[in-house]
Amino acid sequence: MATDRTAEVTWHGDLMSGSGRIDSVTSGAFGSLDVDWRARSEDGQTKTSPEELIAAAHAACFSMALSNGLAQSGHPADELKTSATVTFQPGEGITKIALHVAGKVPGTSGEEFRQAAETAVANCPVSKALAGVPDITLDARLEG
Amino acid sequence: MPRVQRSASVTWEGNVARGSGAISAASGAFSELPYSLASRVEQPDGKTSPEELLAAAHAACYSMSLAGELAEAGTPPEQLDVQATVTLDEVEDGSHRIVASEVLARARVQETDAATLNRLAAAASEGCPFTKLIEASATVTVNATLEGDPDGD
Repeated sequence: MATDRTAEVTWHGDLMSGSGRIDSVTSGAFGSLDVDWRARSEDGQTKTSPEELIAAAHAACFSMALSNGLAQSGHPADELKTSATVTFQPGEGITKIALHVAGKVPGTSGEEFRQAAETAVANCPVSKALAGVPDITLDARLEG
Repeated sequence: MPRVQRSASVTWEGNVARGSGAISAASGAFSELPYSLASRVEQPDGKTSPEELLAAAHAACYSMSLAGELAEAGTPPEQLDVQATVTLDEVEDGSHRIVASEVLARARVQETDAATLNRLAAAASEGCPFTKLIEASATVTVNATLEGDPDGD
């Protein structure tokens, strides 16, 4: 079954000095998030940006895929902590996504965990959608 | 222009069927957003999903790109209303794939016409980095309409 998720944005003015707002999303889980070019292209911002949302989507998708792979191999995770960092080069595009994951997974080895993480990166739907990113890196380590 | 980095983090507990996760943005713009398999492939029930975050990314990316194109053409928009819908579907082998992102834009712009808007709307999709990426697996459609039509034509 296909699932649709929608988001709505209002923008006022030009790109450089204008501003926008993510007004609403299907789930209602977040809403009224301000966005503007400065927040997107300069450091030290408190507003979100398309690239931050992509980082959130990728970290979330990868974590689910990895939890699924670990459970299927008989070693479900107690906890996975994942971060995704998206590198955006204005004028060029998204050039890199770096994924880091730390897992608490009883009964598995570091090597098994790394292999499961690599499979998850390759197979999660967001990874497939972002296959055009030139560089997707993975750092996976087992905790405890 | 310098490279920009944006990060987000997720904590996931349990297996995929009954587990759940929480998503936080490094900017602090949102934190601890819950999500689960059910919120992703069934009813959202107030929780977000990776695809919903991508829809928000696409709508935000596209609106900036269209604002840029319109401004460059000498007609910056008074207002753009942009909606993006991302579709996740099950494919032949039983796995899920993001198959489409549909963008609908309504533009309130002085001194332009529908043909010009359509041309700039297509250029804006080309210029939005996210469109270029997601085209690897999904069909991207863009539909732009002029609101108010100030010239009355």
